Amino acid sequence: MSTVKKQTSLPAIQQTAGRGAARSAARRRGSAGYGAERRPRWVTYTILGLVLAVSAYPIYFAVLLASSDAVTIAQNPIPSLIPGPDLFANLSRVLNSDIQFWTAFANSLIIATITALSVVVFSTLAGFSFSKLSFRGRGPLLVFVIATMAVPTQLGVVPLFILMSRLGWVGQLQAVIVPGMVTAFGVFWMTQYLESALPFELVEAARIDGCSLIRAFWHVALPAARPAATMLGLFTFVASWTNFFWPFIVLGSSNPTLPVAVQLLQASYFKDYSLIMAGVVAATIPLVVLFVFAGRQLVSGIMQGAVKG
Amino acid sequence: MGRRNRSWLAVGVGTLGLALVASGCSSSSSDAGAGDGTSSEGGGSGEKITLTVATFNEFGYEGLIDEYMQLNPNITVEQKKAATSNEARDNLNTRLAAGSGLSDIEAIEVDWLPELMQYSDKFVDLSSPDVEGRWLDWKTAQATTPDGMLMGYGTDIGPEAVCYRSDLFAAAGLPTDRDEVATMLGDTWDSYFAAGKEFMAKSDVPWFDSPGAIYQAMINQVQNAYENNDGTPIPLADNTEARKVYDSVLQASVTDGLSAPLSQWSEDWTNAFQNDGFATMLCPGWMLGVIEGNAAGVTGWDIADVFPGGGGNWGGSFLTVPTQSAHPDEAKALAAWLTAPEQQIKAFKDKGTFPSQVDALSSPDLLSVTNPFFNDAPTGQILANRAAAVTVAPFKGPNYFAINTLVQDAITRVAVDQTDDANSSWDKALTGFQELGL
Amino acid sequence: MATSASTQPVARGASGAGAPVGGGRRQPRPRAGKLDMKLSPYLFISPFFILFFIVGLFPLAYTAFVSLHDWGLIAGQGDFVGLQNYLDVLTQPRFLTALRNTFSIFVLSSVPQVIAAIAIAAVLDQNIRAKTFWRMGVLLPYVVAPVAVSLIFSKIFADQSGLINELLGNIGIEPIRWHADPLSSHVAIATMVNFRWTGYNTLIFLAAMQAIPRDVYEAAIIDGAGRARTFFSVTIPMLRPTVIFVIVTSTIGGLQIFDEPRLFDQLGQGGADRQWMTLTMYLYELGWGPQKSFGRASAVAWILFLIIVIVGVINFSITRRIAAAGPTKGGKR
Repeated sequence: MSTVKKQTSLPAIQQTAGRGAARSAARRRGSAGYGAERRPRWVTYTILGLVLAVSAYPIYFAVLLASSDAVTIAQNPIPSLIPGPDLFANLSRVLNSDIQFWTAFANSLIIATITALSVVVFSTLAGFSFSKLSFRGRGPLLVFVIATMAVPTQLGVVPLFILMSRLGWVGQLQAVIVPGMVTAFGVFWMTQYLESALPFELVEAARIDGCSLIRAFWHVALPAARPAATMLGLFTFVASWTNFFWPFIVLGSSNPTLPVAVQLLQASYFKDYSLIMAGVVAATIPLVVLFVFAGRQLVSGIMQGAVKG
Repeated sequence: MGRRNRSWLAVGVGTLGLALVASGCSSSSSDAGAGDGTSSEGGGSGEKITLTVATFNEFGYEGLIDEYMQLNPNITVEQKKAATSNEARDNLNTRLAAGSGLSDIEAIEVDWLPELMQYSDKFVDLSSPDVEGRWLDWKTAQATTPDGMLMGYGTDIGPEAVCYRSDLFAAAGLPTDRDEVATMLGDTWDSYFAAGKEFMAKSDVPWFDSPGAIYQAMINQVQNAYENNDGTPIPLADNTEARKVYDSVLQASVTDGLSAPLSQWSEDWTNAFQNDGFATMLCPGWMLGVIEGNAAGVTGWDIADVFPGGGGNWGGSFLTVPTQSAHPDEAKALAAWLTAPEQQIKAFKDKGTFPSQVDALSSPDLLSVTNPFFNDAPTGQILANRAAAVTVAPFKGPNYFAINTLVQDAITRVAVDQTDDANSSWDKALTGFQELGL
Repeated sequence: MATSASTQPVARGASGAGAPVGGGRRQPRPRAGKLDMKLSPYLFISPFFILFFIVGLFPLAYTAFVSLHDWGLIAGQGDFVGLQNYLDVLTQPRFLTALRNTFSIFVLSSVPQVIAAIAIAAVLDQNIRAKTFWRMGVLLPYVVAPVAVSLIFSKIFADQSGLINELLGNIGIEPIRWHADPLSSHVAIATMVNFRWTGYNTLIFLAAMQAIPRDVYEAAIIDGAGRARTFFSVTIPMLRPTVIFVIVTSTIGGLQIFDEPRLFDQLGQGGADRQWMTLTMYLYELGWGPQKSFGRASAVAWILFLIIVIVGVINFSITRRIAAAGPTKGGKR
């Protein structure tokens, strides 16, 4: 007699004993799929490890060069696999050079923070309106917003610069902050996210209970938007932090942002990559720190969306 | 969960408000002197004014600016740096186009001048009896418009000599002493190429690094390479002079195989320094630092006091005063001071920028400079000789570089990318010339 | 889907949790004021539009105006020439080269990117340990400065001394001419682009995947679906809005690629034969290069705009049809 016990398939259970029995059987078997029950196999971690290795290589590369010296770099076009000894020496060279590192750091922090917050707030407001409210011109306006993403930004430099000089903002942080305070991408992103993530019944229910639209927004839309809003804030912060061309044109080296300041390390005919890469590392560290903090927010915010009653 | 959700946004909006206020405060404190030098109450002497100087790369002005401020207590000078000359150029063009935002003194490279001269009305005429004869003739000529207006005061130049690997020469049985090498290379392109053939008969190493560099040096010795003296372009199809130079460069580089298939400043070119990629190269003063850096650890580099075709110059900068400046007279005075021989020598000692001022070229500070990486060669003396040997001041009108790029691209296609032969590549250049619509 | 604990008791008159709501855009009863409902939308979008009109629209209108004139970058405004700039640009061989390059790089970058992003997001969607670490890790390429990225890739893709060609040489294959051959240059540049943006799109897909309710998966498993079947029949259709979003933004971004091809060599023109020059690089060369023709550069910008709109609409309709799936019962609408 066979001692192999064959499991009854779940569809069979569902047919005979009903859905609830099938569900508890599934949970017991731990095959309920993507929920909190199942831990993935080592294959998953291998793939993830590979992805991470490739993603992290540029930063690692920068650290490799930043911890070396110009002679070693010149003699070894493909760098070694382990860092050299000079990382802190080169980092202090960067901090002690005349590129105004700390001013640039402060400027970048102010600009990126304000820009990220403002983009999130305005985009969520606009996204809520476009996705859940009906008003005249909604369709064409949304298409217009998306279409503006299609115009290349290089040309905008000259008219934008003219505008900034008329306002007297050349050399001041507002010239970088104000053009960055709203983005078409942000509006588009929040619109499509709220479209599927925020049931209109919730808004309706809040309105029935006597909320004005703004209160409905505050109590209902914002919580629903939290995962996407956190993501948008993160993306915007990083994009603003790493932006070079416009801050270079309008702020220059007298009131620089971090990429502009670090770029100055390249100012010589022979490029000392140990110094340049040390600058890159110094400019990237704050973002990595942000990732650690934002990461927790992001994960908890995203997991919020996974809870289903 | 509901209440906690709201608090993160309250914090966010509060921070936004606070930060906007903070940025208002911080930007006003960083306002001092930023922008375009308009922060004076009056331009007369005794009033405090601020001058801005825009430079790129390394001009060596840090110490000089402090010195000037001590000599002129009512003047504050601020330097605004761009890392590379391309960035500085983008900045200059954007602000010229916008009509505001330029510094009181803008440093420019000689290669930008042909184009900028079309807009000479946007710059102050810097001619003055005080600076007559200060610079080498050909240097002043580069910045003088056909109407006789002086657009810029010269700072540095890039006189060229020939750098070579004496160890590779020795291995091929060629002389290695500086003077003997100079004699062997001779001062015509034919003798330079002939020496190359002799070298390559006994060595696998290419003779020179890049066909583009040779073309640039050769075309720079032609008086009217692409345009007539009145500025009208010579149609490329009719330009026999350029075609001749093009053909001889390709003959030497590809047919005779004297060149490494490299484009200067590419990754392959940089790595070639460590791999015996080539035995000689044309080197202006500022290239010495590049060679030393890229060829770290390689012994055997030396420099010969000779240049095929007589003399050559690559690069060099000027200080200009845009008409946008609020203090043109003071700016002009500062520019004149910065480009005086004494100051240029100080900049040279600080950052190696080779002076263009006649008096500086005979200064013992300059002539006594030797370079240990290049076998202790008297580089100061050699480069001063080379500077004096430059005879041709080629005419470069507004379309010079557009046409030059066409021919350089043609050479790259044949010798580096090897996607075309000499004739088909030239035809593509002709099509490109049509596209320019000149 | 988070429900706000502070609001409703069972909503009176409005739909309960299970009943399907058609369309979902019904106006509620006028208890809260018609005026509020009519005006508020405009108020909500006005901050965006006010700022946008000033700093976004002014440059757009300006460049449209410029494109109709013979306008030099420094020389300034010239004569009105109507559509002459557009005609000039369209008849230049270099424009066609740029068009070819742009499309080639676009296809080579967008297609692998979207596929890889969905795949990696699916892997990240599981209940892995150290979630934060892995999830933030994929965004790392996005934060690194261009100078570092271009240096790495130039060491990898150098024609003679680059890493890939050295490895190929070691196993006896002919070196690939990354800078001389057009298609190879496109592959190299597309690799750089994919490298930078895949993680970004992965997180976008991940956010959407995590918003899919888990009991839908349970139902699928109970119905006997395997992992792969679940993925293609459940996950992807529910991701449809996000897929559309990513395809549209990738189209717009992919046709405007500028930084990576610019940094591919030291000259930044797109190669001696313009073998990897994209349309935005061409625009930049016309405007800031030797010609300094701001008018022609603006014309290219608006031609590019038209191309992006056309391709965007095509992509949008393709994606809508491929991923078509009915809404699940009781789901979000």
